[in-house]
Amino acid sequence: MAMNPMEQFEVKPLFQHPLLNIAGHDIYFTNQALFMCVVVAAISLFLTLTVSKNRLVPTRGQSMAELSYEFVANMINSTMGEDGLAFFPFIFTIFMFVLFSNFFGLVPWTFTVTSQIAVTFALASIVILTMVITGFMKHGLRFLTLFVPKAPWYLLLLLVPIEVISFLTRPVSLSVRLFANMLAGHTLLAVFASFVILLGAAGGVLSVLSIAPLLLIVAIFALEMLVAFLQAYVFAILTCIYLNEALHLHDHH
Amino acid sequence: MPSPDPDDLKRLSERIDEAERKNTQRKKSPPPTSLNIAARFGTELVAAILMGAGLGWSIDWAFDHWAHIQTRPWAMVVMFVLGAAAGIRNVMRAAQEINAEMASKEK
Repeated sequence: MAMNPMEQFEVKPLFQHPLLNIAGHDIYFTNQALFMCVVVAAISLFLTLTVSKNRLVPTRGQSMAELSYEFVANMINSTMGEDGLAFFPFIFTIFMFVLFSNFFGLVPWTFTVTSQIAVTFALASIVILTMVITGFMKHGLRFLTLFVPKAPWYLLLLLVPIEVISFLTRPVSLSVRLFANMLAGHTLLAVFASFVILLGAAGGVLSVLSIAPLLLIVAIFALEMLVAFLQAYVFAILTCIYLNEALHLHDHH
Repeated sequence: MPSPDPDDLKRLSERIDEAERKNTQRKKSPPPTSLNIAARFGTELVAAILMGAGLGWSIDWAFDHWAHIQTRPWAMVVMFVLGAAAGIRNVMRAAQEINAEMASKEK
């Protein structure tokens, strides 16, 4: 029995034939694509079905939908202020997508979409591109003063390149944080799961000992639930902070 | 169904507002754990250093490839140092953000 903890992250085509052919590259419908569709469908169903009745006294489902709405709205209000609410659909979409992907990944036999650097880096690129475009639209070329801290001119020669590099690392650190957290957590779960099987198969006293990693899995799983939520929250709040810098240039200091 | 008394409704809305104000602090998300803070600082620092070194390497490559000027390894050396500085700047900024977040929760 092969027990490779990294096997769960393998992207595999689900059908033999490619869906599309773009510039000589075959585009397959993979397990990754399937789970992205599942996540989007689940979010859409959850949000439309729970609020379709629109009761004054909310049902359990409706209040969950309203809570997630309020949670994101409060986050935007506290970091960006009133005019940040224009970005509500964007941030809400990102938050829900990351949250649902993280939680779907915790269900056994599913694929964790956010454990792929391609997905998280694409999300982070969208965030940074939105920030840059907003900044240039709102402030024009004055947006470039983002890279110019208050300092005497001879220090600026050194500080401006530093600020530029610091800015360029944002999409990297944003995407790597989410990807690494999900990858590490799921690998850890798989490794401890293989311990249970190995110890159980060993026979005798060792079989009895296999209860220990099993208990650990339960504890790690609980931790992973927290991480799944926290990483979605961190991703969303950093999006808010970055967009706030583009909206209110230098105001936040 | 008799129409509700407007005064009654007003008192009810005041009570709801009051309850909401009391609950706002409690509803905020959990504070970041030390593990989270450490992970955040680590990625910020390492990402900036790698980004700086990578940019420097690319500059060296570009000079060699297009202008045939041998700058190797000086752009990489300079950019590596600048990247390290940017990493420290990132960590300082992250610390400021975390402090602000914690302060807003204690209020």
